[in-house]
Amino acid sequence: MQRSTYATELTVIALIGLTSWAVAETKKEYRFEVGPKAKVSIINQFGSVSVRPSTGNYVLVNATIYSDKVEVDHAQNGSRVDVQSHLLSGATADNSRVDYEVLVPADASVDLESTTGPLHAERLHGDVVAEGANASIDVRDISGSHVHVKTMAGPITLTNIRDGHVEIDSVSGDITLNSVTGPLVRVSSTSGRIQYDGDFGYAGEYRFNSHSGNIDATIPQDASVDVKAQSVRGQVQSDLPLQPKVHTSFLVKEGSSFAGTINKAASSVWLRTFSGKIHLKKR
Amino acid sequence: MNCAQFQRELPDFLEDGGNAELQSHLKTCGNCSGLVTSLQSIIHEAQFLQASEEPSPRVWNALEIQLRKEKIIREPRASHSLLPSLRERWGIAAWLVPAAAAILIAAGIMVLPNSKSNSGVTQQAALPESVAPKPAYDQSDEQLLQEVSMRAPMMRAAYEANLKDVNNYIRDAQESVNANPNDEDAQQALMDAYGQKSMIYEMALDRSLP
Repeated sequence: MQRSTYATELTVIALIGLTSWAVAETKKEYRFEVGPKAKVSIINQFGSVSVRPSTGNYVLVNATIYSDKVEVDHAQNGSRVDVQSHLLSGATADNSRVDYEVLVPADASVDLESTTGPLHAERLHGDVVAEGANASIDVRDISGSHVHVKTMAGPITLTNIRDGHVEIDSVSGDITLNSVTGPLVRVSSTSGRIQYDGDFGYAGEYRFNSHSGNIDATIPQDASVDVKAQSVRGQVQSDLPLQPKVHTSFLVKEGSSFAGTINKAASSVWLRTFSGKIHLKKR
Repeated sequence: MNCAQFQRELPDFLEDGGNAELQSHLKTCGNCSGLVTSLQSIIHEAQFLQASEEPSPRVWNALEIQLRKEKIIREPRASHSLLPSLRERWGIAAWLVPAAAAILIAAGIMVLPNSKSNSGVTQQAALPESVAPKPAYDQSDEQLLQEVSMRAPMMRAAYEANLKDVNNYIRDAQESVNANPNDEDAQQALMDAYGQKSMIYEMALDRSLP
């Protein structure tokens, strides 16, 4: 009898919870007709933003709003679309989450912000700016554009970025770059780990700096690079044979720095830490 | 007079010392007196740095470009009409924005003499002790952390840890520049370190917190 009462109580509690959840969650859709090279900005304090290419000249925003403490503001001026989560009185990080699923024309530039993230953008050829203090950021399959990513602690993953002007800043988030190439790839970190896997492209400038985070770069044997690596207090190691350089901008000291070229030295690679380890690996 | 009223009058206070009411509030309020001390310290150091050498207009242009790039200062944009102004969002903490900008400007000024020496200009490379970065939090950091605590308490630990790391980065980078004043890579590392700190301020002030 007592067990039956408990079961009933649990069921009622679960139903109340389910009902309130169902009431709290709202889905809204916003559609904007835009011209070529539209600019789309999504600013979200808490929750995800995911951007993919649409099939026409329109921006489609699907927002899932999890409480009545937050609402979605939106505006359009020509081909510029701004969408923002607007926190209302009583909003907290726990009750003001909004998740956005966004479709934009592939040539649109997007500006994404969220404290918690995650932030995701893929298959675009307009500029991508993504920022969030603790947000996990994933950007992939972007070509011929600027990709600027900033986090304080959130991890960053860039995959298959071709011919990009890439700038990444993170204080403590780990940074992973897979097949990222372009005329400029700059990564700045304080304590996060920087991992690069790719061939450093052709005629690009790659600068990876960290204070205490380790830097690992994995490259194929046929990569064409002019590489310099220096750690003020950490260790450096190269698994690939380097052609020594006649002149270097610093005194090469075994174990804490190296400099040399591989093949035709088409791209310039500069790896620098203060206490983090640097490891150039052969794929 | 409360803190909000005091800080609305802060520019006048810094300019002429303020009236008796402002002085009275300052004597009884630890937060506002700490804020004033911090701002006066920044003003003092900025004057000191400016006195050491006035950077060329090219440097200021470069800094402005960097500040715009970092979105610390912005072009007026209609698209931001949706957003409440920084003052509305941050009220009394809006003063931290110039503090964030000052971080970048200070970095630029500190690196500047060494850059000039590379172009053939004889230059004293040693930096004055008064502008050497401190490894622990400074007063601006403390103020920022207080604001973070009020607005998003769950974020305080992350901001605190990251500020600590960045301050260590600045300290090491500064030591590296002091040891090798003509080393462009060391100068760049110092700029990077200040850039990271500026980013933390920017995220705390302009974007991340509700």
